[in-house]
Amino acid sequence: MSSEEHLKQTDTEERFEFKKEQRAAVTSGKGLTEETIRLISEDKGEPDWMLERRLRALRLFEEMPMPTDWPGQPDLSELDIEEIVPYIRPDVEARDATNEWDDLPDDIKDTFDKLGIPEAERKALSGVGAQYESEVVYQNMQEQWEEKGVVFMNMDEAVQEHEDLVREYFMTSCVPPSDNKFAALHGAVWSGGSFVYVPEGVTVQMPVQAYFRMNSEGMGQFEHTLIIAEPNSEVHYIEGCSAPKYAAHNLHSGGVEVFVKEGAHVQYSTVQNWSRNTYNLNTKRAIVEEDGTMEWISGSMGSKATMLYPCSILKGRNATDNHITIAFAGEGQDIDTGAKVYHNAPRTKSTIESKSISKDGGRTNYRGLVHISDGAEHSSTAVECDALMFDNESTSDTMPYMEIQESTVDVAHEATVGKIGDEDVFYLQSRGLDDDDAKQMIVAGFIEPITEELPIEYAVELNRLIELEMEGSLG
Amino acid sequence: MSTQVHATLTEETVRQIADDLDEPEWLTEKRLEALDALDDLGMPHVIRTPGRDWTNLADLDYETLVDPISYAEEKDQVGPDEVEVLAISEALDQREEVVREAFGSVIDPQENYLTALSTALFSTGTVVYVPEGVDAEDVTIRTTMNSRSLFNYTLVVTEESSSVTILERQESGGDVAGDRYYSGVVEIAAGKNTQVQYGSLQDLDQDTYVYTRKHASASRDSRVDWIEANFGGRLTKAGVETDLDGEGTETNILGAFYGIDDQHIDVDARVWHNAENTTADLTTRGVLDDEARSVYEGVQNVGREAWRTNSYQREATLMLSDESEADASPKLIINNHDTEASHSATVGQVDPQDLFYMTSRGVDEDRATDMLVEGFFVPILDAVEVDELREDLTAAIRERLRS
Repeated sequence: MSSEEHLKQTDTEERFEFKKEQRAAVTSGKGLTEETIRLISEDKGEPDWMLERRLRALRLFEEMPMPTDWPGQPDLSELDIEEIVPYIRPDVEARDATNEWDDLPDDIKDTFDKLGIPEAERKALSGVGAQYESEVVYQNMQEQWEEKGVVFMNMDEAVQEHEDLVREYFMTSCVPPSDNKFAALHGAVWSGGSFVYVPEGVTVQMPVQAYFRMNSEGMGQFEHTLIIAEPNSEVHYIEGCSAPKYAAHNLHSGGVEVFVKEGAHVQYSTVQNWSRNTYNLNTKRAIVEEDGTMEWISGSMGSKATMLYPCSILKGRNATDNHITIAFAGEGQDIDTGAKVYHNAPRTKSTIESKSISKDGGRTNYRGLVHISDGAEHSSTAVECDALMFDNESTSDTMPYMEIQESTVDVAHEATVGKIGDEDVFYLQSRGLDDDDAKQMIVAGFIEPITEELPIEYAVELNRLIELEMEGSLG
Repeated sequence: MSTQVHATLTEETVRQIADDLDEPEWLTEKRLEALDALDDLGMPHVIRTPGRDWTNLADLDYETLVDPISYAEEKDQVGPDEVEVLAISEALDQREEVVREAFGSVIDPQENYLTALSTALFSTGTVVYVPEGVDAEDVTIRTTMNSRSLFNYTLVVTEESSSVTILERQESGGDVAGDRYYSGVVEIAAGKNTQVQYGSLQDLDQDTYVYTRKHASASRDSRVDWIEANFGGRLTKAGVETDLDGEGTETNILGAFYGIDDQHIDVDARVWHNAENTTADLTTRGVLDDEARSVYEGVQNVGREAWRTNSYQREATLMLSDESEADASPKLIINNHDTEASHSATVGQVDPQDLFYMTSRGVDEDRATDMLVEGFFVPILDAVEVDELREDLTAAIRERLRS
């Protein structure tokens, strides 16, 4: 069975909305205190410096105000961090992630089976990690990459096994906890996530993937991903997210740090399908050295509210950034997403392509910042935002910010907003398609420039998710 | 508020200004209400990005900038016979009901600290009243500011099926050492089926801090066009807005700025589509040289009931110097899907190919750059209907060229 057939034949409810009994070895309880932090750190057997970093982040979190003064920002008033359970270690026998699916408890295995993870691993991936609640429960990488020195392991394990690297790169220069309130929260309670290290000159030909699943009601997931791509290396990292829907709010506040060294190439792809009771507030950032390339590909389909602006700091000459972002907001969803790029060196280049769709009262917003610093001569940036609106209950906003401090630059921003064309729908109907199929086809065409950039497995997944959104059968 | 002017600003001061104008009590009441509100009001909105305020108004010390009871100025207020162009005191005498109805109806006097300050302290002003069916051209309002600070108020009211073109110009005069402050508020109440073009050239000296706030409300089938040229001032915060309140209304907002030395020019252009079948076209072109900095915010806001909206926005900034900075944020807020909306913004230098072509024809580089800069403003100049404004604008551009 091809992946496409597999996905089409799987019932939606079964794929994303199923719930399992909570299975926890350790749970932190609700809320956030120094005691909670110490419990998490102790449960993980962390070195003292990591506990210190967590406690410092907690202090910053307590000092910083909630962001409330952004024009048109999503409403976070219902988000009560005191009600969130920040840490649940699932009751899995092996303390560290296993590399055998068969070692997993049946219900967890069944979860990832339904999400198509083992299937994807067999077909198209170099390595797979799967996180259930706060901990990575499965991690495997093909031997051929391990032999070349590529590391793909869960972040908690990396703190122990690659302590020097983690100590140098973890929430220091890229995403310090002082960056924003949710980065501080993340720094205090982070758990799980991936550590990826690619040695100099190594090209990891097939993508590595991590899948994050929240199963319990009212929990927060705070996985941390750290990718270090040494000079002239290449890697594609894919992240998938989902959770069943509960009455209480869940919070996902991930942290992603990417170091793209000289001439390296990193692609980071996310397809996010959190349930519609989830607040999705992430901080993702890359530092790109000379001749390096960073590509962010983000599909935001799920969540109640998303605030996500992947950032590239182009630090070396000739560094390049490409952003591709798709947002789809249905009923009750506020998807506020975009991109940030800092051009801090000469001859740096960025492109941002954003497509958003709003429907049934949903709101999308492109919020982006391009900063060209004094001295970043001969840099260029091109931003293109297109938005499609289905009905008069929905909202589509576009809020780009440009700060240009150098004259020998090429800066262009374009945006359009329009409704789905009656004429196009009529034409397709006259060719025998019904109204829904016609609209789906128009949407598929609208996002095609983006899906064609994705590996086929993910293009299929994204199209399928959008079809589900259009059918209104999700959430 | 950290920036208070209470030392010189009291009820007594306000009453003194009111007495000088011999104004009715209702207006003095509005001034005093604005005065009372100052403590609770914030500065006008400025854009903030992580770690940066695009314009810093909070640090301005209005106490040293404002001298409320000295307001020397020269003013020309002229127009054709069929339209009434009145000084504020004349208007309060001859057209009190018109002024009373329209004053503060488009711009809330207490919108922010600076509009309230302007309401409390304005000492000069012009009312342009265009009676029903009248077509009037070339109304001219020229203000020369001879004092430390000046608060100016302009009101335009057009009755049904009339039209008018207006030129407003501000310049500096007098012998005042040190920093100065100019504040100008312009309200336009455009009646049904009327057409207004309001062109403004602000060319105050570079010791002057400038706050201007212009806002029009367009009734059914009317059209309001703005030409908003900001050349002067040390720090300028200028806002121009149109409410498309009636069906079938239209607005064009054309902006031009040219910053040199260490000028800071912050311009906002906003349109609110509040009714069906409305159209907006926003075009701003700016040039920056030396260490000048520009801030542009353009907002196209389409309301839930604004069916069949067309809304376009273009902004282009030309940077002639590496020491200058151009910040821009064109925004779309779309709440009705029956909309065709787009915006674009570009920043760059003079096209090297154009420059090469001209230098290869024997034109030296500075001269060639100047010609390209002049050409850059042509789309704005072409839209100006008042000849005198076009000539003044051209002259102001040429003054800033390099050779």
